[in-house]
Amino acid sequence: MQPHQAALPFEGIRILDSTYIFALPYAAGIMADHGAEVVKIEGPSHIEGVRRGGQAGLYAEGDPGDDWWNRGGIYNLLNRSKNSLTLDMSNEKCRDIFRELVKISDVVFENFTPRVMRRWELDYPNLRKIRPDIIMVSNTGYGHGDGPYSTYPGVASAMEPTHGLANLTGYVGGNPARAGISYVDFVACWTALFAVSAALRRRQRTGKGQWVDVAMYQAGVMNISEYLLDYMANGNPGERIGNRHRYRAPQGVYPAQGEDRWIAISVGTDAEWQALCSLIGKPELAREPRFASNAERMKNHDELDKIISEWTAGRDRYELMEELQQVGIPAGPVVDAFDMHVDPHYGDRGFLERVAYPEDRKMGSRTLIGRPWKLSKHDVKVRKPAPKLGEDNHKYLVGLLGMEPDEFEELEKEGLISDAPVPVSNGATVPDEELLKLKIVSRIDPEYQKRLGIWE
Amino acid sequence: MPGVLEGVRVLDISYGIAGGMCGRYLADYGADVIKVEPPDGDPLRRTGPFFQNDPHPEKSLQFLAANLNKRGITLELEQEQGRQLFLDLVKHVDVVVESFKPGYLSTLGLGYDELAHINPGVVLTSITPFGQTGPYSHFQGEELVQYAMSGIMSISGYTDREPLKHGGSQAQYEAGLVGAVTTSFALFSQSMTGEGQHVDVSITEVVSSTLVETQPPYAFRGGVPGRRLPKGRMFTDLMPCKDGWVSLTAGGGRATMDDVADFFEKPELRDASFATPSSRMERGEELDGIAVDALQNWSRWDYFHEAARRRLLAGFVQTVPELVDCPHLESREFYREVEHPVMGRLKVPAVLFNYSETPYESAHPAPLLGQHNEAVYGEELGLSNEDIQALRQQGVV
Repeated sequence: MQPHQAALPFEGIRILDSTYIFALPYAAGIMADHGAEVVKIEGPSHIEGVRRGGQAGLYAEGDPGDDWWNRGGIYNLLNRSKNSLTLDMSNEKCRDIFRELVKISDVVFENFTPRVMRRWELDYPNLRKIRPDIIMVSNTGYGHGDGPYSTYPGVASAMEPTHGLANLTGYVGGNPARAGISYVDFVACWTALFAVSAALRRRQRTGKGQWVDVAMYQAGVMNISEYLLDYMANGNPGERIGNRHRYRAPQGVYPAQGEDRWIAISVGTDAEWQALCSLIGKPELAREPRFASNAERMKNHDELDKIISEWTAGRDRYELMEELQQVGIPAGPVVDAFDMHVDPHYGDRGFLERVAYPEDRKMGSRTLIGRPWKLSKHDVKVRKPAPKLGEDNHKYLVGLLGMEPDEFEELEKEGLISDAPVPVSNGATVPDEELLKLKIVSRIDPEYQKRLGIWE
Repeated sequence: MPGVLEGVRVLDISYGIAGGMCGRYLADYGADVIKVEPPDGDPLRRTGPFFQNDPHPEKSLQFLAANLNKRGITLELEQEQGRQLFLDLVKHVDVVVESFKPGYLSTLGLGYDELAHINPGVVLTSITPFGQTGPYSHFQGEELVQYAMSGIMSISGYTDREPLKHGGSQAQYEAGLVGAVTTSFALFSQSMTGEGQHVDVSITEVVSSTLVETQPPYAFRGGVPGRRLPKGRMFTDLMPCKDGWVSLTAGGGRATMDDVADFFEKPELRDASFATPSSRMERGEELDGIAVDALQNWSRWDYFHEAARRRLLAGFVQTVPELVDCPHLESREFYREVEHPVMGRLKVPAVLFNYSETPYESAHPAPLLGQHNEAVYGEELGLSNEDIQALRQQGVV
């Protein structure tokens, strides 16, 4: 698939991105990679939360520097390819400026709680009065409307149990568990991208806009559909089976050579089972009646786990992957953040993209997660580094809206726009030793700057 | 009211959950999606759970979930005549969704170049475990293996145990949705230029892309995040209460640690030494004790409602039966009823999100195997009943 230089799909589309944290900021960053002009809007006293390094002290080199708000790792990943405008949306003057921007924009992304946009008269019925074909995407925990939880605040990390996933996640016989990420934020991110792109296509054909109401709770519940149907049809409430499979055995994550090194193996068919027996040098197991069928293997899973672990322990996880895959068995190592940067497959596909910062940012160049797809006709990539706070204030307010320079200065003086948080505060560093002691990270690679070529 | 994708025509020759969900989301929002199965059916038809636990090819609930709102035909692509019929169908569509091993369609003469030759506007969406390119592209994938190789399991579970997968088939569902995203992007582009293209989705990378808290620690300061400590992580993990488990994102949103202290009636939480996430980690085990004590008299539901009233970011471990009977999902009309020819009337999880102007219409069940052969081959390709009968005898449909 040879990308040729077709225009990017969303060139000419302007998106006002008044969103925070993960879901919609990421969606807007991905739209920007695909050519949209994205204006990230933050209040000077309500800046993007992920600009902070948090408990991981996640700034470039762990150093908050003179402008910590521009150095956060998660901020820089999610908000790549965008422009930055500050506007204090709690101020009526700024909301008027926002309305002026809506008139010349195609899409608005927002994730305030439902009543906030209504109170500010910036909800969809109001926005369509000033721009009839506007496409508005709202993302909230429980969605708009009059449902019983509509007013409840929602955040992905606390919602994972509520949308049903934690009850089905956990070690065999153990408690319910959360995975280590804000899972449903990303389901909401993909949902928003599907919704907005389909709405843009319709607008291109009919001239009509519309409003998209994404509820993270609802999107999360969708992904356990087969459990919901199983309960309705059969009364089965679901179960926690760790890394096992409901219908394939044996399956698990087994220890490999080295500390905290693991190989995932999934055997389902009799052919795969027989291939595994040969590979581990125990062809006689394939003839054992207690392992002969999938149903029997399910029953004797503990015993199989023991046999497989004995074989995997002390072997290299990547060599195990190659050997198992060669005989047709799905298998692969548990990859961590370091592995992702050195694994040949990630490298070959260019999954991590390098973005170079201007000298004054003192960030060198960084590798960022790109996106999990390739389009054959468009050369999609991170187009520029995440902007500094308020970097594009002048460009939008004076350049685009034609604001008088003294009015611009007045807004700055009042702290309604800014290139630093209001009030300005110090960023806190967290030393490497503390990260290790509190197990925020399991290890630190002292060579990472060289390995990633950050300063080359 | 026509759906947002009204007029889009899709051939879904994929199998399994991911490709199926991609086609389904397109169908949910107005595309005319034809599921094309080999004569013995999508292997998902042989996958549980089954209606009334009866392993019948028309009773797979997993197949039902992944194929709502589609029409269905059968077609044997391994036969020359089947390939010719497929190419005839491709002339009339905007999208083909597939999930075969990379290169398989090309060996049949049905790769992107061949499809584009007869229909330059066609979008070919390929959804595979590791993508179309790269050293692992021909590897066998499975939910667990893709989860492991995505990186997410390195941070899931506890430090004293093996890495832990999320329940169910999250990677497949997410990748199906991402397939719909990329197809929709390519359709937007097609609408502007008239040209289609080949879209390559890697299921593993879909999950990798969610590691926005895991990859930057390495790229920005060399850190490699690991799994949770089994103890001392109460406020970032689940907490036991009277009748189950609850969650709280402390210090998030507009609620402060003081608000948490008031809610828990534990003034000691106002202590400045609990004010930051790091300090809460440092004194984690002590905090565990305070939380367990404070929550022992709370039921999950009372906790959920009261915490929300106080603007705390809270949740609780909700069970499948509770979610089936959820008043909030009802208010969002998430579940819809379908009348399935074999299983009868069923309530199905249906609506992913809401549009104001092109709302989700009524739901239709997944097709029976070959249910729309006559309609599609007859009305759209102009084949007579005798032609279709002959194809049937040759095992083409």
